[in-house]
This record gives sequence, C-alpha cells and structure tokens, in this order.
Amino acid sequence: MNDRQENILTVNGLSVSYGKFQAVQNVSFSVLKGEIFGLLGPNGAGKTSTLSALEGLLKPQSGSIVIDGYDAGEKPLYARASLGVQLQSTSFQPELFVIEVLELYAGIYGLTLTRNQILAILGEISLEDQAFKKFGQLSGGQQQRVSLVIATIHNPKLVLLDEPTTGLDPQSRRQLWERIEAIREKGHAVLLTTHSMEEAESVCDRIAIIDHGRVIAVDTPQALIDKHRADPEVISVSRRGKITLEDVFIALTGKTVRA
Amino acid sequence: MDTVIPKTSTVLAALLRADFTTQWRNRRSVILTLVVPVIILISWKGLVAIKGGAFALSNSITIGLIATGLMGYTNAIARDRDKGIFQRLRVAPVPTWTIMASRICVQLVMIILVTTAVFIAGNEYDKITLTPSGYAFTYFTAIIGGLVYLSLGQMVAGLITNPETVNSTTRLVYFIFIMVGMFGELGILGVQIHDLEHWSPYGTVKTILAGSMEPAKWTNDTSIALLLTVLYAGVFATIGIQRFKWNTNK
Ligand SMILES: Nc1ncnc2c1ncn2[C@@H]1O[C@H](COP(=O)(O)OP(=O)(O)O)[C@@H](O)[C@H]1O
Ligand SMILES: [Mg+2]
Repeated sequence: MNDRQENILTVNGLSVSYGKFQAVQNVSFSVLKGEIFGLLGPNGAGKTSTLSALEGLLKPQSGSIVIDGYDAGEKPLYARASLGVQLQSTSFQPELFVIEVLELYAGIYGLTLTRNQILAILGEISLEDQAFKKFGQLSGGQQQRVSLVIATIHNPKLVLLDEPTTGLDPQSRRQLWERIEAIREKGHAVLLTTHSMEEAESVCDRIAIIDHGRVIAVDTPQALIDKHRADPEVISVSRRGKITLEDVFIALTGKTVRA
Repeated sequence: MDTVIPKTSTVLAALLRADFTTQWRNRRSVILTLVVPVIILISWKGLVAIKGGAFALSNSITIGLIATGLMGYTNAIARDRDKGIFQRLRVAPVPTWTIMASRICVQLVMIILVTTAVFIAGNEYDKITLTPSGYAFTYFTAIIGGLVYLSLGQMVAGLITNPETVNSTTRLVYFIFIMVGMFGELGILGVQIHDLEHWSPYGTVKTILAGSMEPAKWTNDTSIALLLTVLYAGVFATIGIQRFKWNTNK
C-alpha cells in the first residue's frame, strides 16, 4: 500500500515552542483516510498547540506536516483547503445571525449557497428555527453543532476538532459522537483532541497519548490496553481488578494533577 | 489531491458582506460618528464668517475621520482579535490580507459618508458651497486623511493587545486631537501649541482638506502638509502592520 495514498495527514518530528518553552517536542503520527484519530492528553499536554501548527496558526520550530499530499509549510492554502476546523474556543462575529455566519464561511470556502440551501443545512442539525438568532444566544450544545457544521460545510477530507465535547451534557455529547461518526461514514477523516478516556474508547479508531509535548504511545484503544495489561504500574493504578484505558493512561502519564 | 482553492473574489465578497452587515448592526455608533462633526459644524456657525467655510468644513471632516478610523476600526479589530474571530477566519484557505482589506473597504465607505454628511450640513445650515472640482478633490484628500487615522489605529492595535486598553487609548487620543485641534488652531493655547497642532496628524489632514476645497489657495504650506500626511500614514502603517498579532494568546 502506498503511504501517500493511505495517509490523509502525516506529521513528522513536529516541534512547537513559545519563546523558550517547548510546548510540542518531536511529535510524529499519521491519520489514515476515513478514521477517527484521537489526541488524548491532560491539560497543557500540547494538543491545541499541535493542532494550531496543522492549521497554520503558528509556525512550527521544526518538523513537517503533510495534509492530503500538500506540505503545510510550502502550500499552506492548499493544505488548509482540505481541512475543516473547529477551534477549542470558537467565536464568530457577535453581530451576525447564525445564518449569516454560515453564509460567511460558505463563501470563505468558495461555496455559493442560497439562503434556502443554508436553511436546509441548519435543518439537518435541527436549528432551522434558530437561523435568525445570534450565535451567542444559542445553548452550548447548539453552538457546538453550528461550529461542527461550519467545520464540515465544504466537505473537507480531514476535520480537526479541538475538545469538541468538553462542557457538554451527556445527551449532547452522545449526539455529537454520532455526528462525528457520521463524518467518518462519509469517508472523511477526523482528528480530535480529548482528555476523556471514555470518548477515546467510544469513538476513536486509534489514539495517540500525548503528555508534556511528547507522544508516548499510538495504537487502537484496545491494543494499548492489551499491550500494557501486564505492566506493574498499570496494575498498581487499576481498580477492582479491571484494566481500563484510564489505567494505562494514568500509568503512562503519571498521577500528578495538571492545572 | 484535486484540491481547489476558493477564488479570492468569492472570499472577498463573503467577507465584505459580513463586515458591512456588522457595521449596519452597529448603526447607532455609526450615526454618532456622523452626527458629532455635523453638530460641531453647526455650532461653529459664527466662526464661518470670520475664518471661512473651508476652515469649518475641514475641521469637522477631520473630527469625523478620526472617530471612524481611530475609534471605530481600531476598537473593532481589537475586540475581534480578543474573541478569536480572526483565528477562526485564518484557518480557512484565505490569504490573510483579504480579512483586513474587507475591513478597510468598510472604512472607505465611512470616510465618504462622513465627508458627505459634513458637506450637506455645511450647505444646509451655513450656506457653504464649493466648486464641483473642490468637492471632488476633497473626497480624494479625505481618503488620504482617513488612511492616516486608520494606520494610527492599526499602530495602537499593534502595540496594545488588551481591547479595553485599546479602547481607552483611542478615546484619549481622540479627545486630545479635538481639544488641541480646535483650541490650538484658534491660537488660544499659544503659538507653540499652534505650531505643534499645525504639523500634527490632526493639523496636516485639516490643511490638505481645506486646501482641496479651495484649490486656488493651495500653497507651499499645503504641499508640505500633504507630504507629511503621507509620511505619517506610512510610518504608522508600517509599525502597525509589523507589530500586529492576530491573537491575544489568552
Ligand atoms: N500562547 C502561548 N504562550 C505561551 N505558552 C503557551 C501558549 N499557548 C500554550 N502554551 C503552553 O503550552 C503548553 C501546551 O498548551 P496547549 O497546546 O494549549 O495544551 P492542551 O491543548 O493539550 O491543553 C501549556 O503548558 C501551555 O501553558
Ligand atoms: Mg487545548
């Protein structure tokens, strides 16, 4: 199998620094076409910094990023055109109605949609009746649906979601998981970040555990559990004799609480 | 790898539409920007006979240009940067210059509106009329003058990240310009302040506006003021663009 055809994203030796502080150190991983890949790590692990480098928001100190065959450093516009993005804290112009925000982003991604087409898109996420509200007037779950629909409006090959379910209630969270799986069903790849084990186990095909800016392990959730089942640290943190992904995660990243 | 980059014209059209809609939703402050220079013009009715129509008009237009460029534009970009609105736009496959170009187009329309409002008020209340070429020339210099305050605002947003500090800074500069501008020009504050005012970004813009209203009275002094105006705009814009960050790193 040709690597170039199977990978939608290849990150190689990526390092990101803020001044002297190394937030991401020599990170490598790749996302296959049509898979949901999770970057799992505690607060401050470097998840958002990694995504920011992929999105072109900050310039990596070193390393290479190839998105759908385009080098993000050399062909940033082409690399970004294949990306759908939901930032960790998304904000849209507070003066605009939801429908106008969608119109803006449709246009920015080169689509010319009619108002009816946009209303239909809002209908798919059951927000037709919110079209003429301001984004800030929507509930957290509704805002998340809107930013997800904007992230996928141009049918991108790779969708980046930064902590998409943080702060959502269980119902909204499950609904969002289904929407994320629906993106995969359409043949697109998803790269999401999370600090939730449950989320990593429930929706991700493969995960990379990241901590202190380094990738510690990459595999399917089950394979990670199987691989580390016999580690003394994993057994020592496990509870009630059952080894979970969380046990593996805690054993690999340590017990220290992160800010 | 059949990726297509959106056409710049489509992107710009979408940005313009959003930015003009935003401006329309903020029409109260837009109206205030237009009303203040008009009120000043009307209240100066007595001065028109002494100092001339061009003096009164150019003063009012300058105040309007400062309000829209230095305050309207600057506070909007400081706020949007702080809210992460620019970051979301920048992850789209758009060349970054289009984001600012669209904002500046809105400002160009504001410059035309301010100038027109002052012209109409001057005509209605003070019976000031210019020759057709005077009007045309003044629109042109108003744009040059407007660019000075836009780039001054860009510099403020480049040097200061906190939107509240940006807001109070632009208000302060606006206030100083108005005070020193109006009273310094009349010589009330003494000769030195008068000279300082005359060659400040307030005075040079006023001078070129007044000069373009009566092209026959264009002097050497006016030409130097034009040169200085362009120089100010260039310096402010260079600093403002170089130092500008798209996010506030919260
Ligand atoms: N703009 C910044 N300036 C300085 N340090 C930063 C900046 N953004 C993030 N960091 C630091 O980099 C590290 C990684 O942050 P981040 O990528 O946001 O982590 P995560 O998304 O995994 O929570 C943290 O220690 C954070 O404090
Ligand atoms: Mg983060």
